[in-house]
Amino acid sequence: MVSAIPSWSDSAQYAKLSKRTSPGDVTTAMSSSEPGLHEFAALISPAASNSIEAMAQRAQQITGHHFGKTISLYVPLYISNHCPGGCSYCGFASDRELPRRKLGEQELDAELATLKNAGFEDVLLLTGERTEEADFDYLHAAVSRAAKVFHSITVESFSMTVDEYRNLADVGCTGITLYQETYDPELYRELHRWGPKQDFSSRLEAPARALAAGLRTVGMGVLLGLADPVRDSISLFQHVEGLRRQYWQAGVTISFPRICSQLGGYAPAQEVDDRSLAQLIFAFRICLKDVPLVLSTRERPGFRDGMAGLGITRMSVASRTTVGGYHTKRKEDSGQFKINDERDVEAFCETLRKKGLEPVFKNWDAVFHDAEVLT
Amino acid sequence: MSTTLKLGDIELTSRLILGTGKFSSINAMMQAILASGTQLVTVALRRFNKSEQADDLYGPLDQLDGITVMPNTSGARDANEAVRAAMLGRELSGSNIVKLEIHPNPHHLLPDPVETFKAAEELAKNEFLVMPYIPADPVLAKRLEEIGCASVMPLGSAIGSGQGLQTSSMLRHIVRDSGIPVIVDAGLRAPSEAAAAIEMGCDAVLVNSAIAAADNPAMMARAFAKAVDAGSSAKSAGLMTRCDDAVATSPLTSFLTEEQ
Repeated sequence: MVSAIPSWSDSAQYAKLSKRTSPGDVTTAMSSSEPGLHEFAALISPAASNSIEAMAQRAQQITGHHFGKTISLYVPLYISNHCPGGCSYCGFASDRELPRRKLGEQELDAELATLKNAGFEDVLLLTGERTEEADFDYLHAAVSRAAKVFHSITVESFSMTVDEYRNLADVGCTGITLYQETYDPELYRELHRWGPKQDFSSRLEAPARALAAGLRTVGMGVLLGLADPVRDSISLFQHVEGLRRQYWQAGVTISFPRICSQLGGYAPAQEVDDRSLAQLIFAFRICLKDVPLVLSTRERPGFRDGMAGLGITRMSVASRTTVGGYHTKRKEDSGQFKINDERDVEAFCETLRKKGLEPVFKNWDAVFHDAEVLT
Repeated sequence: MSTTLKLGDIELTSRLILGTGKFSSINAMMQAILASGTQLVTVALRRFNKSEQADDLYGPLDQLDGITVMPNTSGARDANEAVRAAMLGRELSGSNIVKLEIHPNPHHLLPDPVETFKAAEELAKNEFLVMPYIPADPVLAKRLEEIGCASVMPLGSAIGSGQGLQTSSMLRHIVRDSGIPVIVDAGLRAPSEAAAAIEMGCDAVLVNSAIAAADNPAMMARAFAKAVDAGSSAKSAGLMTRCDDAVATSPLTSFLTEEQ
C-alpha cells in the first residue's frame, strides 16, 4: 500500500532538484505526457519562471480540455468564530480580541436563505477549532440543516475521527476542506502555539480519515507564506498523489490560500508574489490535469479574473468572513482574513461570461446521497 | 442501414446525439444543438437547477421542439446512487429514457461495469429505456442486452480525451453481435471519426467535448452532422469488402466470362 502521508525530508531532495532545473528540463517537463513529481519540481523552479507565458498557455489548454469553459462557484459560510487555538497567522486565534459569535438556529436559517436567494447551491461551512461553544454536535446539526437547503455542503473545520466524518456524510456532507498549512513539522509546532490543532499528525492524516469515512471530496492546501513554498508544494503534491492512489474514488481539490492581512498582524515569513503564485497554479494544472483548482476572494479581482480558466476551475464569490455576515450585511474588521474581491455575484458572473466562461452554481445533486433539497 | 434509429418508442432520423457539458454559455450550447440537427441530447441531472437560475441546463432544452432530453446519472459512484438519480430524472423530465453513467474514479472517468450492470438491471425492471455508458466489452454488451437495455454505449476512448476510436477492434465485435443499437459514446475528436464509427456499423455517436471545446461550436456541430450523414450513406450504399491483398480492377480471368 502506498502511503498517503508525505515525508518532509523527501521534499528537501525534490527542492534541490527543483533548484538545479535547467531551461531544457522545463521544456521537457511541460511536454511530458505523464508528468509526475519530477516534472512538478521542474515547473515550480526559478528556471521555469522565465517560461511563465508558455506555462499559462499550456495550463489554459489543459483546463479547457478537462473542465470545459466553465467555473464552478461556491460560497463560504462562517457559522462560528469561537476558537481555542493559538495559530499565529489566524484572525480567529483565541488571543485576538474580537466579538465571538456562533449562529443560532434562526440566524443560521437566515444566512442559508440569504445565500439560497443569491443563487448558491454549493456552500462551505466554517468554524474554528473544536471548542465547547462550537463542538461536533453543533457542526453536525448545522450541516444537517444546510443540507436541506443546498445540494452541496462541505465543511472547513477541526480535524475529526472516522466516525465523526461518517456521521457528517450521513446527514449530507459532501466533503471537507482541511489545509495542512505547512508540512514542515517543526515550523508547524512553532506556529500552532496552543490548542488542539497542535497535533501535526492528526491533521496530516485527517483527509485520509475523511475519505475512508465515505466523504466524496477533500480540499487540500498549504497556507502560502508560512514556509518555503517549494518544499510545501512538493509535499502537498505527494499528499494528493498518495490519497488518489489509496482512495481511487476520491475527489481531491487544491486551494491556494495566501496569507493576507488579519487581526493579529502576522507577517508572512516567505512572501509569495502574484507571479510565483500563478506559476505554482500552472504547475499543478500541468501535472494534475483533472484536479479542480480553487481560488478564493482572498485574492484581488484582477488576479482572480486573470486566473479563471488558466488552471483555476472553482472559485468563491461574494464572500464574508464574519459570522452572520450575509443576512446582517455586517462588514466589521473581525473576519478571519481580509476579503480582497468584494464584487457581488452578478458583477463577478458578468466578468466570467465576458471571458467566455460559464458560471456554474449547481454541479451536484443531493439525490446522490439520498436526500431532497427544498427549492 | 435503416433510415431511422429506434430506441424503445423513440424514433430518430438523426444519428448524432449531443452532450451538453463544458459549453462557454447556454447560448453557445443551444446554437450547437440546433446546428447539429440532433433529436436527442443528454444532460447531467446535477446540472438541472430547479431554482430557475441562469445555469439551469434543463429548462432551455425542454423548450426545443422535436428534441428529446435524456437525463444522465453522471456523478453517481454506484448502482444505488445512479438508480436514485435516474428516478429523479424521470420525474423531472417526464421521459423514461436515461443515460446510465457510473464512473466512480473522478480522474479517468472510465465506467464501472459491475455497478453499471446492477443499475441497468434495476432500471430495466422499472421500465426505463436504459442507455448504459460502458467499456468497449463485447461480453458486457450482450449481458446488458439480455437484461433489457435499449442500447449500449461503448466508449471510443476516455471521456473528453479526444483520442478517437481507440477501441475499434472491440467495437467491431460489439456491432457484429448486438441485437440492440450500438452508440459510440466518448472520445471522439474529429468528424471523420464519427463517420468511421457509423461506417463500422455503429448506429449513432454521442459527441460533447469535441463540439463544446471548438472555437465555433455550432460550425463543429454541423461538421459532425455531415460526417454522420456521410457515414450513414456509405453504409447504406454498401461499402466494398476490405481485403488484405490488392484486387485488380481488370481481373486476369475476365476472358473466362467473355462470350464466345
